Amino acid sequence: MSTLIEAKGLSKSYGSHQALKSVDFKVERGRIVGLVGPNGAGKTTILKAILGLTSYEGDLTVLGMNPERQRHQIMQKVSFIADVAVLPGWLKVANALEFVTEVHPNFNLERAKYFLGKTNISMDAKVKQLSKGMVAQLHLALVMSIEAELLVLDEPTLGLDILYRKEFYNQLLTEFFDEGRSILVTTHQIEEIENLLTDLIFIRDGNIVLNATMDEVTNDYIEVMVSKDNIAQAEALNPVMSRDVFGRKVYLFQGVSREQLEVLGELHSPSVADLFVAKMKEGK
Amino acid sequence: MTTITWNDQQPIFRQLKEKVIELIIDGEVSDGEAVPSVRQVAADYQINPLTVSKAYQELVDESILEKRRGLGMFVTESAREHLIESEKKHFLEVEWPKILERIERLGMNLQSLVNNNTSTGEDK
Repeated sequence: MSTLIEAKGLSKSYGSHQALKSVDFKVERGRIVGLVGPNGAGKTTILKAILGLTSYEGDLTVLGMNPERQRHQIMQKVSFIADVAVLPGWLKVANALEFVTEVHPNFNLERAKYFLGKTNISMDAKVKQLSKGMVAQLHLALVMSIEAELLVLDEPTLGLDILYRKEFYNQLLTEFFDEGRSILVTTHQIEEIENLLTDLIFIRDGNIVLNATMDEVTNDYIEVMVSKDNIAQAEALNPVMSRDVFGRKVYLFQGVSREQLEVLGELHSPSVADLFVAKMKEGK
Repeated sequence: MTTITWNDQQPIFRQLKEKVIELIIDGEVSDGEAVPSVRQVAADYQINPLTVSKAYQELVDESILEKRRGLGMFVTESAREHLIESEKKHFLEVEWPKILERIERLGMNLQSLVNNNTSTGEDK
């Protein structure tokens, strides 16, 4: 089975507010998928639905199962790091390891000890004595020691300094990710992980506004810095967006061939952050 | 490998490929030597492993790298020689004509440029 998550017409309402408006998407095995959207766009609702933490309408399959009805089975193959630290402050590191060993059949205690051995975290330390970065390391050690097929990360590096953030993704790449597993990640620090991603999903007001592989994004979206003489020509090609840089216009095009654009100026691939801004402003 | 600043004009896999070629030409990585694993390179540069695989695969297709089963990826025995040959060819066919054109456009004389260089060399 190569599809780990499949959503069709996934919807969710909180009272009269429609948080998700019938979205479709897939996550295949061996991919690192970035789920990006402004606050309140529906990211967390999608993650909660996948983890079986909320009810929803529409079809959602995770590892071939239904998250609402088969949450227990799914969670044996899925691990999760939330932006809100969930480990209680009074808990000792050693107790945390014991706890996960008991509740999780696919937890590898030796592996967790090995990961923690590479950090400055002592087994006797209580969670409240650890720095924010160390708590993140502890979380990471725990989830990487679960033989999961899907890892869901919700703002995993929020509030961490750059050294910890780099180390976090470094660990994931060397010790966890392989072609049999997938990672679904939401983050506001998109520029830090854009080169890590294989797929990109943008969500806005409960709708998916972009869902593509990074290769497709690179082929489909091109930025051109256009000199004054070529502005009319550029406008005629229906750019998605334009912005001013040093008194020159930078246009973003979608689905226009490189040959057509090359005559207008130097071509660039937009950063995911620039693309995000464009997609969030589109039609507004 | 040293840090790389990626530019946004070329796909990262191509920039990585060129970086490896550069390292081989400069002799930083020798013929027959192992290159770091896909996983290691991905972690070092925080890029997707597929990107690294794509760069390595193109180098394999061009016989610059070879896969040894169970051991990883290695520089082929005559990689450096071949690369230098093809770089020379590229210089003569693509880069040199452009330089020549620029020299002429600026109204400089090729012969005197060469003489000038040699004479300053002799002065030392």
